[in-house]
Amino acid sequence: MTSDAWYDEQNRLTPDYLQAVTFPLTRWGRHGYEEEPVRAFLAEVHAEMVRLINERASLWQEVQRLRRRILGKESGNDAILFGKDDAHVHAVRILSSAQRTADRYVADAQAYSGRLTEEARARRDEIMGQAQQHADMLLEEAGTRARAAAVAAMNHDGLPPQTDQERRAAAAELAYLRTFSDVYRKHLKIYTEDVLRTIEAWESRET
Amino acid sequence: MDVARLKTSFARIAMHGDEVALHFYSDLFLKYPETRPMFPVSMQAQRAHLVDALANIVSSVDSVEALSEFLRDLGRGHRKFGTLADHYDAVGGSLLATFAHFSGAAWDAELEADWKGAYELIASVMIAAAQEDEQLRPAYWTGVIVAQERSAFDVTVLTVRTEPRLEYLPGQSVAIESPARPRLWRYYSMANAPRADGSVDFHVRLIDGGAVSMALTDGTAVGTELRLGPPAGVLRLDTASGREILMIAQSTGLAPLKAMLEQVAGLRQPPGVHLFFGARSADGLYDLPGLEKMAAGHQWLTVVPVVSAGRFSGLRGPLTDVVSRYGDWSGHDAYLAGPTEMVRDCAGRLAAAGLPAGRIHVEDFGWSEP
Repeated sequence: MTSDAWYDEQNRLTPDYLQAVTFPLTRWGRHGYEEEPVRAFLAEVHAEMVRLINERASLWQEVQRLRRRILGKESGNDAILFGKDDAHVHAVRILSSAQRTADRYVADAQAYSGRLTEEARARRDEIMGQAQQHADMLLEEAGTRARAAAVAAMNHDGLPPQTDQERRAAAAELAYLRTFSDVYRKHLKIYTEDVLRTIEAWESRET
Repeated sequence: MDVARLKTSFARIAMHGDEVALHFYSDLFLKYPETRPMFPVSMQAQRAHLVDALANIVSSVDSVEALSEFLRDLGRGHRKFGTLADHYDAVGGSLLATFAHFSGAAWDAELEADWKGAYELIASVMIAAAQEDEQLRPAYWTGVIVAQERSAFDVTVLTVRTEPRLEYLPGQSVAIESPARPRLWRYYSMANAPRADGSVDFHVRLIDGGAVSMALTDGTAVGTELRLGPPAGVLRLDTASGREILMIAQSTGLAPLKAMLEQVAGLRQPPGVHLFFGARSADGLYDLPGLEKMAAGHQWLTVVPVVSAGRFSGLRGPLTDVVSRYGDWSGHDAYLAGPTEMVRDCAGRLAAAGLPAGRIHVEDFGWSEP
């Protein structure tokens, strides 16, 4: 009974061949097809062929089953309506499709969690970038203001210009530092609160 | 046994693609329901592994030497899944039933005998290797997480204490299973040379959508019991070479190289080591302070951090380029770890610059991945 076997064909296109096929590159560079779309199309054809082969195989098996059934009836043996082997193959098919469903659910969940973390990562990079920029700005502003304060302290009228040079320098430095830290702290506080508010808003959107 | 006939038969069966493995596992689980809990919920990756392994066995059936090493690895690797000698008969039965199913009328007594003979041979090699291994070490180690520290936004360092003590060489890795994701094993390298107290560090990078890395970074607390497979991998320090060392690590590829660095530190006369540690952005250099501290204490060690994007005060650019520009490495021993692509590029570039292939050491999980 091998003559009616579904696969008994020579030199037919196979899915494996589709996956391995290569095309010569065009001689003049850019006149050929782009490789990616060709590859994508071949992958599609490959999947379709595998599907067709499997469909054909199960049809073939069904034909065999029915044939056995008819032959069984003709020979007076009508016990083979739905054999034990058929039942097993059916059970295998049911379990297989259940497994496929489970695989899909897991893959979906994984893809979803992947997207979530990817978004979180992008969002975090953005926040970090902004924070960095803001910190740079703060430092610059605090520096400028503090320098101005130091100059003012240096030129303070109440201090004798020559005799108390050291004290004036110290006062200048103190003014610089005080202003720097004041400005920096104030801005940082505002900025931190702002970031916290953003995160809270973001969290409440998530839940 | 007719090898050519087996190959032709397998090529026909393989035309059915994923359906073959799907049928095989369904057949196995229906006939032997007790085997189902040995596998993860999603069988997608598992099926691909089965098809790959079968294809590899069939295609290398002519070179007995290589095949037997592959099968011995496979046999030993299956111990941690709880595979027993009895399971091999069940698998053999379902495999033959599956092959018969997809062979249609081409399945005859002769072909069946060939496949049966081939499977028995395969199973006997795997079982023998597993039994030999049983005399030497446990199927898996139980490891309790004793410390868990997030050292970067997406990198967590786990410290694990195992029972019994895990004996390994710096550079090696183990497959880890978290109770939060049963039956999913992923390889992680030990990030320290063996310690007196037997504890080991693992650097876990959170991979977007990565089931196991997520379970290990977020879903696992101190006190959680993990399962660890046997130490595996080919990356080791060549302590006898006397040559200076070039180490290139990208991201958590640092782990095995850090273990080897600690090994170098224990040598009587440590050779000079240049460690290039690369990350996408500066905050990805998660262990840099520790490395710099180590370099400050050891004259032979130079640590060069490299960042490929964003602001950074040190060297910038793709790791491979920076290393190539930095100097002539043709007289060194090189050790590389990190994403496959970076490792491959770097190894290729070093070889092209005159470093003999035998002195470029990289990790190759290849077929050992479950």
